Amino acid sequence: MTETLLDVRGLSVAARTAEGLRPILTDVSLDLAPRRILGVIGGGGSGKTTLARALVNWLPPALKPTAGEILYRGRDVLKMRPAEARRLRGREIAYVGGDPAGAMDPTMTVGAQLVEKLRAVEPGVSRAEARARAIALLGAVRIPAPELRFHEYPFQYSGGMMQRAMIVDALISNPAFLVADNITQPLDVTVGAQILKLMREVTERFDTAILFVSSSLPTVADVADEVVVLDKGAIVERQPPAALVAAPRHAYTRRLIEELPTLWTPGGGRAAKLHAPGVAPILSVRDVSKTYVAGARSGLGPKRLVQAVRNADFDVYEGENFGVVGESGCGKSSLMRLLTALERPDKGSILFEGKNVFSGKTGDLRALRRRMQLVLQDPYSSLPPQTSIGDIIAEPLVIHGLGNRAQRRVRALEMMGEVGLPKSLYDDLPNGLSAGQRQRVNVARAMILEPRLLLMDETLSALDQTEQSKLLDLFERLQAQHNFTYLFISHDIAMVRRVCARVAVMYLGEVVELANNDRLFFDPGHPYSRALLSAAPTLEERRYRSEDCLLEGEPPSPIDLPPGCAFATRCPSAHDRCRAENPRAYARGHGDRAACFLLEATAASTPARETHDA
Amino acid sequence: MFIVGFLARRLAQGAVIVFLVSFLIFTLLRVIPGDPVRLMAGGMAPDELIEQIAADMGLRDPIPVQFARYMGGVMRGDLGQSFVRPASGAAVGGAQFDDATRAERARVLSLIAETAPMTVQLALLSMVFALLIATPIGVAGGLYPGRWPDKLALYLGSLFVSLPNFWLGIVLVLLLSVNLRLLPAIGYQGFAWTILPAIVLAIEIAPFLIRTLTVSVAQIMRENFIAAATVRGLGRGRIVVAHALKNAAVPLLNLLGVQFSMLLGGVLVIEFIFDYPGLGLLTINAVLQRDFPLIQGIAIVTSAAFVLINIAVDLAATAIDPRLDY
Repeated sequence: MTETLLDVRGLSVAARTAEGLRPILTDVSLDLAPRRILGVIGGGGSGKTTLARALVNWLPPALKPTAGEILYRGRDVLKMRPAEARRLRGREIAYVGGDPAGAMDPTMTVGAQLVEKLRAVEPGVSRAEARARAIALLGAVRIPAPELRFHEYPFQYSGGMMQRAMIVDALISNPAFLVADNITQPLDVTVGAQILKLMREVTERFDTAILFVSSSLPTVADVADEVVVLDKGAIVERQPPAALVAAPRHAYTRRLIEELPTLWTPGGGRAAKLHAPGVAPILSVRDVSKTYVAGARSGLGPKRLVQAVRNADFDVYEGENFGVVGESGCGKSSLMRLLTALERPDKGSILFEGKNVFSGKTGDLRALRRRMQLVLQDPYSSLPPQTSIGDIIAEPLVIHGLGNRAQRRVRALEMMGEVGLPKSLYDDLPNGLSAGQRQRVNVARAMILEPRLLLMDETLSALDQTEQSKLLDLFERLQAQHNFTYLFISHDIAMVRRVCARVAVMYLGEVVELANNDRLFFDPGHPYSRALLSAAPTLEERRYRSEDCLLEGEPPSPIDLPPGCAFATRCPSAHDRCRAENPRAYARGHGDRAACFLLEATAASTPARETHDA
Repeated sequence: MFIVGFLARRLAQGAVIVFLVSFLIFTLLRVIPGDPVRLMAGGMAPDELIEQIAADMGLRDPIPVQFARYMGGVMRGDLGQSFVRPASGAAVGGAQFDDATRAERARVLSLIAETAPMTVQLALLSMVFALLIATPIGVAGGLYPGRWPDKLALYLGSLFVSLPNFWLGIVLVLLLSVNLRLLPAIGYQGFAWTILPAIVLAIEIAPFLIRTLTVSVAQIMRENFIAAATVRGLGRGRIVVAHALKNAAVPLLNLLGVQFSMLLGGVLVIEFIFDYPGLGLLTINAVLQRDFPLIQGIAIVTSAAFVLINIAVDLAATAIDPRLDY
């Protein structure tokens, strides 16, 4: 039998509530050998974070272990005296959480905090030695210019970089065991993919065993040697990832796998109906740019310009689902603010149903907003907490002066029926609603004006897989009934694959590729689209490997954009010209286009905007 | 580089503020009733003489002209001369009519230069006392929210804030200097005379410091990085001292800046009760005697001090928390 580093036997944890103890974990047993990665997968409320925190003896005061033991090298972590537990924690057992942004003191440099941590758990280490180790490790997790980054503050790090710094913080004392609790969850997929790669290296280079907790099965399957599935606080099965995916034994696991969206199943974009030929676009975005001025630090220095949207240009056709995908900071939300006329573009024009959105008077804008509605991301802050659900849904009618009180009530109740909300909720406040129900209220509120175009800004990102699926079905049904046009703004490429006929891929404010659904997934034209596909969480066999599609590193800051192609810093096919000159969009036929010099040879003769220039 | 731009910008803004304050004070002084010449020359002086003196002193010129003349002097570092105070010391005016001694009247700048250090000393000592009282109580309150240290902080704060300072001053004088003969109280003959008024002021300020500290320490202790520090292996003492207190220091620092400015500008009641020869006492007398140049001078100096203190506070806050961007 192999050596065991961690042995959890019959662990149960319960929460102290007014009604007594409520079990969170029941009879959890698992073991971990050195240098192995054990994945823990489970949905929201399955107790996986409680398990992760119990292993480092860091349960919140409201939770207490009721049975079982956690043996680390034969010693029970739960029974240690506080001083002993503290010596172990941070030194031999390290923990990295899912919120890198708030994990370090904002008033101290990252380097100083790494040194502080090492010297706290290993008092013998000199300052200079601690510093050398920190810098070496920052380099090892591929933070560029570690000597300089050592002296920077947490707020100067991006999310992905900060997560790397937290991994350094965990590894600096050479722990034998690392708990990684949902560490890729807040990160963009391309950055998350790089962190996963790093996890695999860590086990080899630093002899560390990892317990990798995540809610994303593809992520866990990618990184772990073995996976345990946690459902309602109990372990329901344990298998190596390949076997788990191929032959799940438990119903819960089977459901997890079934719910996963697929990217490359032919016909996977089942709702992706293209517009009929010859239809005029309902929304035309013409060469739109928007730049924000960020405050200069001293008021005297040069102004810092954030180029949020750069030369966006696309058409959305009636009855068609259009997707805008990209990672955080790519300009999706700025674009949405322009499309809804909340802000004016600096350059270019936006035409809705053939009319320039910004040419008219305020009254015109109000009329336009009747026909174009927005559904937001956050189901919680987007509903007023003190207004009844019926009044929330009917409010647009009040704003636009439509109908009397009784008529509005009838319309609101109709809408509630359409989006699948029980009519008995009419007089309730929204605070009792689930996230999915809240988004239904949001959709009903947007629909009550019978708009032509619905802008969905990350509308589904806050919902779990099951709920997302249900809402997508609802959107489909509503579209069939009312002939809506949807514009989905999302970072979730699997959702886009399922519902959007045409997709614009954005990177640092630019639409780098515009393509029909199948074309984008099977024959992407831009290297960034390929990188995005390679990093998408999926259990399918990948068409693109992230090792081939993406260089190490993070997107450059939108404040100091490099000259040339914005993706050149991370693009494996970048050449000298890419770093000097920004490629224009090259047409690829059927209205598809991509901004990459690699397409120049094949597309030199066709004009980029054949769809509307013709 | 940042610091040069910061100072240039803030000092320029400060100059504008001081200018506006001077203009406001200057104008208001001349608009409100009360003729300083009548006070200077005495109630018995004939009206023609009053008018003549006033004209000689330029007090009958249009206000903008007077202001321009005055600011011209201020630019050269001349805050003018007191209307009533002779250079020798004792206040003149009232019924006495001694226009001949005008040349010997005290310069405003030197009057302020004599008294300001006294007030600065009093203000600094009260801040030290206030911090000594507030820090342990406030920090403990923040570390144990809802438990007895938190309640103690709340009750002590409420108690301190409801003690009227003039009453407390008199009671302490009675107790500490008259009955126990521990500390001297009235006037100023040495450092010991500062202690009693400083204690009274400290008790007046302390509740604000306690409240700010309790709230900000409690808030910082709920931050993610404090919780994460435990699992990273840092000890409790280190977390509280190096991280919680450091972060909680920023709001405290802002409050200290405001409180210090207020102490410099007007500890009128306390200086009056203790007959403490600081700016407050000087201000009271200047106002009672309609001593325009002196009032203006005090206003300019204190507003400049406000500006400088604020700049210093913001610089210190940026040094603690580099995210702050002033």
